[in-house]
Amino acid sequence: MQKIMKDELVDILRHRFERGELGRRDVLMGLGLLGVTSLAFSPGPLMAQSKQLVLATWGGDTTKAIEEILGNPFGEVSGLSVVSDTSGPSEGAVQVQASSGSISWDVMLLEYFSSITLGKKGLLGEIEYDIVDRDKVFGGQAHQWGVASHFNSYVMVYDAAHFGDNPPKTWADFFDVEKFPGKHTFPKWMMGILEAALLADGVQPDGLYPLDLDRAFAKVEKLMPHVVSVWGTGAESQQLMLDGDAVMGMLWGTRAILVDRDSEQEVTFTFQDGFLAPDAWGYMKDNPAGAKAANEFIAFTQDPARQVELLRLAGYGPANPEASSLVPDDLKRIDCNQPENRHLMHDLDMEWYSENYATALDRFTALIAS
Amino acid sequence: MTMFKNGGGRSAIVWCIFVLPLPAFLILAYFLPMMGILSWSFTDPVPGLQNYARIAEDQTIHLLFWRTLRICLTTAVISVLVAYLLAYHWILGPPARQRLIEMAILIPFWISVLVRAFGWLILLRPKGLINENLIALGIITEPLAMVRNEIGVVIGMVHFMVPMAVFPIAAVMRQIDPRVIQAARGLGAGSVRRFIEVFLPLSMPGVIGALFIVAVFSLGFFITPAILGGGRVVMVAENIFVRMLQTANWGLGSALAAVLLVLVVGLIWILSRIVRLDRLL
Repeated sequence: MQKIMKDELVDILRHRFERGELGRRDVLMGLGLLGVTSLAFSPGPLMAQSKQLVLATWGGDTTKAIEEILGNPFGEVSGLSVVSDTSGPSEGAVQVQASSGSISWDVMLLEYFSSITLGKKGLLGEIEYDIVDRDKVFGGQAHQWGVASHFNSYVMVYDAAHFGDNPPKTWADFFDVEKFPGKHTFPKWMMGILEAALLADGVQPDGLYPLDLDRAFAKVEKLMPHVVSVWGTGAESQQLMLDGDAVMGMLWGTRAILVDRDSEQEVTFTFQDGFLAPDAWGYMKDNPAGAKAANEFIAFTQDPARQVELLRLAGYGPANPEASSLVPDDLKRIDCNQPENRHLMHDLDMEWYSENYATALDRFTALIAS
Repeated sequence: MTMFKNGGGRSAIVWCIFVLPLPAFLILAYFLPMMGILSWSFTDPVPGLQNYARIAEDQTIHLLFWRTLRICLTTAVISVLVAYLLAYHWILGPPARQRLIEMAILIPFWISVLVRAFGWLILLRPKGLINENLIALGIITEPLAMVRNEIGVVIGMVHFMVPMAVFPIAAVMRQIDPRVIQAARGLGAGSVRRFIEVFLPLSMPGVIGALFIVAVFSLGFFITPAILGGGRVVMVAENIFVRMLQTANWGLGSALAAVLLVLVVGLIWILSRIVRLDRLL
């Protein structure tokens, strides 16, 4: 068959497929008859996926907030249809997808340290800093494969009604079960609690890293008899505090502000010596929507006004310093990145976590297991 | 019928046509992918047996397996005791009691494992229904630690496992010939002796089968320990999940899965040596 004739037929097939006259199978059969592989057909305009931008997030209310504030408006600007996959882009899940060769995620909301680890493994696309603005993140939290999306925090939450006039104020108080008896809780994912243990043990904030694991584990081990539960999900941590099963705990700031609100400050929190932890936007290498769309989406999320909305709906501290002054007064109290809150807190060292998380978590899990 | 009498060849073909799709499906959709995952245990991060060496040496992994086995055995023994009583009354009790027991077995069987775990959490937690009432009645002063520990996990797992244990025990009890019991009575055995010397030995295959079935099922438990264990009762299945997805250590994760699989197959093999499996259905 002549080349021109063939191209003509392929074109007709494509046209009829797009108009819905032919099914996918008919097209594939037609291509087979013409001796054209289906690869030649993709990823042209035929494939619906190429007009999509898939956002991999973690589900729940935050996914809804991200869709509403970022996903849908970006869809209107870019003409892409932005859809969510809420199965959670954990390090393992990203690795599975990358190694399977069929990549369906574009932009992902990653643990910041995971974005470093995965980037070093060569699974993420590089952030194009002529599209994304490196200066629009606090503390320079942007690297080759990831950009801070927002900040969360690890803070102390305590039962104010229980402690009355003498609430725990520092991590030293948190670990002092003689002075502040009662059940405790902290995250079973380890981040934050090791730093808290070291501060309680007298380490200076600027001398935290590299973490002295033996010292931190020893401190945590002493607390274990007073720990009612190590929480795995934010909802669990909220429940433990609201139900009074624990009198103090280390919670994510996003959950601390919900507990504080739902209990009308009977259970409240402090940013004092809390730990700041950004999440990161990153995108899959060879993502279906293409690097340009992914970078454009990430740049879109840096809009200060949208970040303030995300603070209102999801409790995420805006990553863009320009957003701070736009935060209305009633939200300033819950924004970990407001200057007056930020200076009370310390940064988690994401480079350290990228290098050491897996091995340290193994030891930690063994330590907290009963 | 003529078709089947025409000789073995033809009927074997027919038989194959009806039966083959199932094993073919299992091989394609389950066995092959599973082999792929298990092969990681020999190749990730580098080829070799280092993942198995780590399992053999690492104290914390030994503890993990001991904890898992301890919980599974405790769950199996308690579930079978409860299930034996239920099955006995289900098979031999008056019709009204039989209906009641059927409901008691089947209704929880249909409720999601997640809902049941949260239900137990609400009941058993320090400020939960049971502790609050016991304190109000003056029976205890400090809340009992019934949940977010191994006790809570075992309670939740037993609740899930009792129906699984009732069915094989009841199946065996149903096959016991009532005339054997009548003969024992005719020979002058009292009710206790009839039970201990006649009924109980005859029902033992069901008991042994149920013990193994519950133990095997329990090995893979994930959600119940995660919710009722307060994050501190880590069993093998949850640990595999963390290694696979959280820390992306596929080699060790799949090696742990392989060990778990060997345990399960081993238990089923032992069971098949002791009891005729078809009698349990």
